[in-house]
Amino acid sequence: MTRRLAVVSSGVGTPSSTRLLADRLTEAVHSQVGARGEDVHVDVIEVRELAAALATMTTAAGLPVPEVTRAQDIVRHADGVIAVTPVFSASYAGLFKIFWDVFGPDDLDGIPMLIGATAGTPRHSLVLDHAIRPLFTYFRMTVVPTGVFAATEDFGAGAGGEQLNRRIVRAAGELAALMVTTSDAVEGFVPTGRTTRAQRGDGFDVTSITPFTRLLAGHDGNHSD
Amino acid sequence: MQFGVFTIGDVTPDPTTGRKPTEHERILSMMTIAEHAEQLGLEVFATGEHHNPPFVPSSPTTMLGYLAGRTKNIILSTSTTLITTNDPVKIAEDYAMLQHLAGGRVDLMMGRGNTGPVYPWFGKDIRQGIPLAIENYHLLRRLWRERVVDWKGEFRTPLRGYTSTPMPLDDVPPFVWHGSIRSPEIAEQAAFYGDGFFHNNIFWDKGHVAQMVDFYRQRFEHYGHGRADQAFVGLGGQVFMRRNSQDAVREFRPYFDNAPVYGHGPSLEEYTAMTPLTVGTPEQVIEKYLSYADVVGDYQRQLFLMDHAGLSLKVVLEQMDLLAEEVVPVLRREFDARRPAHVPSDPPTHASLVAQGPGSKHRLVQPATLPEDREAADADAATERSETTTSEELA
Repeated sequence: MTRRLAVVSSGVGTPSSTRLLADRLTEAVHSQVGARGEDVHVDVIEVRELAAALATMTTAAGLPVPEVTRAQDIVRHADGVIAVTPVFSASYAGLFKIFWDVFGPDDLDGIPMLIGATAGTPRHSLVLDHAIRPLFTYFRMTVVPTGVFAATEDFGAGAGGEQLNRRIVRAAGELAALMVTTSDAVEGFVPTGRTTRAQRGDGFDVTSITPFTRLLAGHDGNHSD
Repeated sequence: MQFGVFTIGDVTPDPTTGRKPTEHERILSMMTIAEHAEQLGLEVFATGEHHNPPFVPSSPTTMLGYLAGRTKNIILSTSTTLITTNDPVKIAEDYAMLQHLAGGRVDLMMGRGNTGPVYPWFGKDIRQGIPLAIENYHLLRRLWRERVVDWKGEFRTPLRGYTSTPMPLDDVPPFVWHGSIRSPEIAEQAAFYGDGFFHNNIFWDKGHVAQMVDFYRQRFEHYGHGRADQAFVGLGGQVFMRRNSQDAVREFRPYFDNAPVYGHGPSLEEYTAMTPLTVGTPEQVIEKYLSYADVVGDYQRQLFLMDHAGLSLKVVLEQMDLLAEEVVPVLRREFDARRPAHVPSDPPTHASLVAQGPGSKHRLVQPATLPEDREAADADAATERSETTTSEELA
């Protein structure tokens, strides 16, 4: 079965060290999922290409701009997500945040995810856990324990580079394990409390709609005292 | 097919002169626009309801009552009546009174209102928007259909032996539309009661509009009100026209850029590409709006926002002339030509609802039937028939 991996990279330059890290993570996840006997379909979203469309959508009360809604669908229907941002002013890039701001609070429920960040100095490494991880906790995504932070010097051949490789492999293994996990509960028998991939982003799916009789229950004016 | 204008009643400075009309001027200009719509033979005038600047129309039934006395033919409607923050008892009374004064030329569109602070000013909570819309509307239906109402709900003080006065004209409650842009629950509500669904798509792309309307249509059929393509659909729109497309764009751009609902965000070009906003020639307007029947199916009401963003009354009236003389006749003809015979051309009016008689589903508080109920009813009828046959045979 082919697993869908969405990669969100919000570097601002070309070439971009953020994209470079995203690519290394993608490759690692690809081979780790492959090692579990599954195939991977990868979609890469370069947030900088959506910058103007995201600004349009944000300033027009959510007017669905096609480029953005395509990207949203990719993420909503992914089995796993890799998100990588550069560190600006001690946090994720504004461009990175504006991308996630267009999702609703239930859109990403339960999707496994791997977070990464790049910066000029290793002193920013805690940004993963004090800024980026809480953002995805809000979305109730399953963020793997290992986040991958790369300072400029980690791209070199020294000890930093060695450690980066090890972190990439470990994080990719964690994400891959979640991506190939299948629910062992028979659907409908156990209330999982989680949205399934099929339900995410299909707000108009007639089968998932609340029938009006249920919406009206308790509101029909026949409350007893 | 009904065509008309709807206003949001914003008081906005004219960006080309800097002059801002007084509230008084703006209110009178809205009345002029409504009367002009009647003179031009448009079918509907609808006013918004707002309780915060820069908007003035806080009291729609006062405005529409005045218009009821000044007009003969046009349907007076709302865009929208706030079903969340208004007391449904007062809505029942105010609009029934209006309906009497207007000789039945009244329908209304329910909406929730999207301005958070307005809710607490009226003692409500925007997070309860959907439950408020559901409960209040159900009470409104009962007040318009039952002589004596006993009510205890979650949001309003209970009613004991309450009779709403006046009862609707001819005992026929006004037809109701439910306006929503992105809440499937409201489309579901409209479908359940067999009411109209209005998608004010002035900010939305066709794909999304199609999804919402299609959902409403499917549910309309599900609840036994007819076929999906027979459901009552209305759309919004906005246009600005000149003989020459570039002139229209040049003239309208400063208004667009400073409009309270559009300005300082996406460009005029982005909006015209994605939404029904059309700035150009009457032919371009016709072409764009004809395409909406392909998007949502054959629909029954098209309202245009014309008097917005500080445009002078003179320009608005000119725009309405162009709309009524050059755009609407072509749209009407083309929409008529493509509409299959079984699809209604117009939404229900007071006259058509009276003609349906006292047994009509419109007069029921809960007119919906579920597929399983219909099957059971069919089975009962079949049993009854066979029993009759048996008893006849025995006789």
